[in-house]
Amino acid sequence: MKKRKITALLTALAVTAGILTGCGAGGNESAPAADNAPAAQESAKEESGGEAASGGEAQAITIWYYWETEGHQVALDQVIQEYNGSQNQYEVTAKYVPFADFKKQLSIGASADELPDIAILDSPDHASYVEMGIFEDLTGKFDVSNYYEGTVNSCTVDGKLYGVPFGANCLALYFNEDMLTQAGCSVPTTWDELMETAKALTTDSVTGLALCSVQNEEGTFNFVPWLWSTGATSYDINNENGIRALTYIQNLINEGVMSKECINWTQGDVMNQFISGNVAMMENGPWQIPTMQAEAPELNWKVTLIPKDAEYASVLGGENYAVINGGNVDGALDFLTYATSEEKVKFMMDKFGYISADKTIAESQFAADSPYQPFVEELNYAMPRGPLAEWPSVSDAISLAFNQVITGTATPEDAAAQAQATIDGIVK
Amino acid sequence: MAKLKKFFRYENVGMLFVLPAFLYMLIFVGYPIIRNIILSFQDVNAGNLVRGTKNFILFDNYIELFKDSVFTTSLWNTLRYTVLCLVFQFVIGFVLALFFSQRFSFAKPVRGILLVPWMIPVTVTALMFKLLFATDIGVINYILRSLHLIDKNIEWLTTPGTAMFALICANVWIGIPFNMILLSTGLTTIPKELYESASIDGAGKVQTFFKITLPLLKPTIESVLILGFIYTFKVYDLVYVMTSGGPVNSTHMLSTYSYKLSFEMFKYSKGSAVANVLLVILLIVGVFYIKVTTDGEDA
Repeated sequence: MKKRKITALLTALAVTAGILTGCGAGGNESAPAADNAPAAQESAKEESGGEAASGGEAQAITIWYYWETEGHQVALDQVIQEYNGSQNQYEVTAKYVPFADFKKQLSIGASADELPDIAILDSPDHASYVEMGIFEDLTGKFDVSNYYEGTVNSCTVDGKLYGVPFGANCLALYFNEDMLTQAGCSVPTTWDELMETAKALTTDSVTGLALCSVQNEEGTFNFVPWLWSTGATSYDINNENGIRALTYIQNLINEGVMSKECINWTQGDVMNQFISGNVAMMENGPWQIPTMQAEAPELNWKVTLIPKDAEYASVLGGENYAVINGGNVDGALDFLTYATSEEKVKFMMDKFGYISADKTIAESQFAADSPYQPFVEELNYAMPRGPLAEWPSVSDAISLAFNQVITGTATPEDAAAQAQATIDGIVK
Repeated sequence: MAKLKKFFRYENVGMLFVLPAFLYMLIFVGYPIIRNIILSFQDVNAGNLVRGTKNFILFDNYIELFKDSVFTTSLWNTLRYTVLCLVFQFVIGFVLALFFSQRFSFAKPVRGILLVPWMIPVTVTALMFKLLFATDIGVINYILRSLHLIDKNIEWLTTPGTAMFALICANVWIGIPFNMILLSTGLTTIPKELYESASIDGAGKVQTFFKITLPLLKPTIESVLILGFIYTFKVYDLVYVMTSGGPVNSTHMLSTYSYKLSFEMFKYSKGSAVANVLLVILLIVGVFYIKVTTDGEDA
């Protein structure tokens, strides 16, 4: 009888094991919550595969990145091939990790000691991984004096440089020029003008404005320009300014000039709605330009600064290179020195639709009438998120507050107070 | 020699056969579970995952969780999602199983086609339902408007209450074939003679159903419900793709919240504590399942 109880318990464990191994009769191979172990194994396998392929005496250097755009992957690969051809000591291979899994893979890799040599990661997460202690101190190894201050700050912790900015981007306002002309509007520069313009542009089939409002870092990225424009900071929301920003976004929804669906739209979805003509204006970044030009060459659009409340504001985005401290540091530094040379930076930035983090390169990067040029101007008003190891928690509070007012589940005052309480619990 | 013979006695040989599976379970199931339990009693976050001391804080993570409104919402969500899904899947699946157990010309091929929802990857189904329930471009709103049932588009996925409804609809659609096929198989095991003699004795359809079909199907029904509970309770991909736990955290499940805490906010210990709550609930159901099925065998 006792034996049977044990067997029963073990079988019960087997039945419940589904949650930890991710398999089971669900018939789905894509349960990212659970299959930590298989995922880690897979990445290990791929890494060793890369090493085997390199052959010879060349030391293997691996890079992890998350760009899903084919053009980005091809451009990075070209630089890597050129580098591999230029010397015999190192063989660089790059591995794509989906954005949604990137943080997870780095965390798992850190605890399982299976990390790449270089990671190209989203700049607001940089500080968290520095705190984790997996990045090499690069102070004095790269000249970043010409770089935009915000980009350098995003990889600096306690005065030490833990990464090299890969490229910079920021958000600005795209508008459909034909729709604007038809409605007889001029380009909005203030919040009031934006509201009026959005109202004029809204019809039965078109909504005036769209901005990605998903409840995660991507949403926060799109919300903070509005917050910062009022003079509020990411850490100080429960005041007149923070509430005004929340109220403004809520009004956009209430006036019907922005669709509530935005809470389910990624930045890519927002862009698709814009080029389909369902949205007249959108907040988005320069990396959309290559796709927009390819998919909707007829569409007549322009870019301008995000309209301001008290002051112009935008948010700094982009990736940083980081060198993992347990890996092949010399090889990683050698590749980074190669990849951050002016010629390679220019090549990649053009292919990526990014703006160089190097100010001197950025200023001469585009022609005056290039659609990228407004982003270079906007970059002067762009501020980084954090850097703070606990940024993900602060970000969660901010995106929650905006989602609450958009869905009407809280008043701007309550949302601000709640977000402030959360943030105060994190940042003392 | 005698000793060796004694060692290879019937029961002992049996144990040897179990050994490989046991070792497999120990390494790939037991170890992660134990690691996860230990993790949930520590304070592991971004700062001390790799270096530094991991302090044991015992039940602090759990205490904090039960004060966290998002956690209690996810717990409640997971329970009500599971129960509602089960009820609809089971009832509709049962009706279809009864229907297709009749002999008519297309019964078999149609039953095969009905299995398709079960075989489509869940992420694909989730994307499909996300589009169906979209406010402005969704087919569901279009149909409702065409039938003049609504004047204004319903904001299915952007309103807390209806988002949960949409998730349940999607999962019921996936789960019906599972229920149907298992119940159909159960129905075929009931001897035809029983129905024949019942009809000779003058029993009506309803009477036959409640006096013959249901009692004889009881073991199957129990298995279907309990397995269904387990598969539904650990839902992740459907929610992640359709709502990501939104709007405003209103559709977070234990699984999605655990993932968010661990891998988006770097609160590894808290995330594992949520996973353990999930584990404990499923373990109870699992033990119950074993009890029910083994009792059935004894009878």
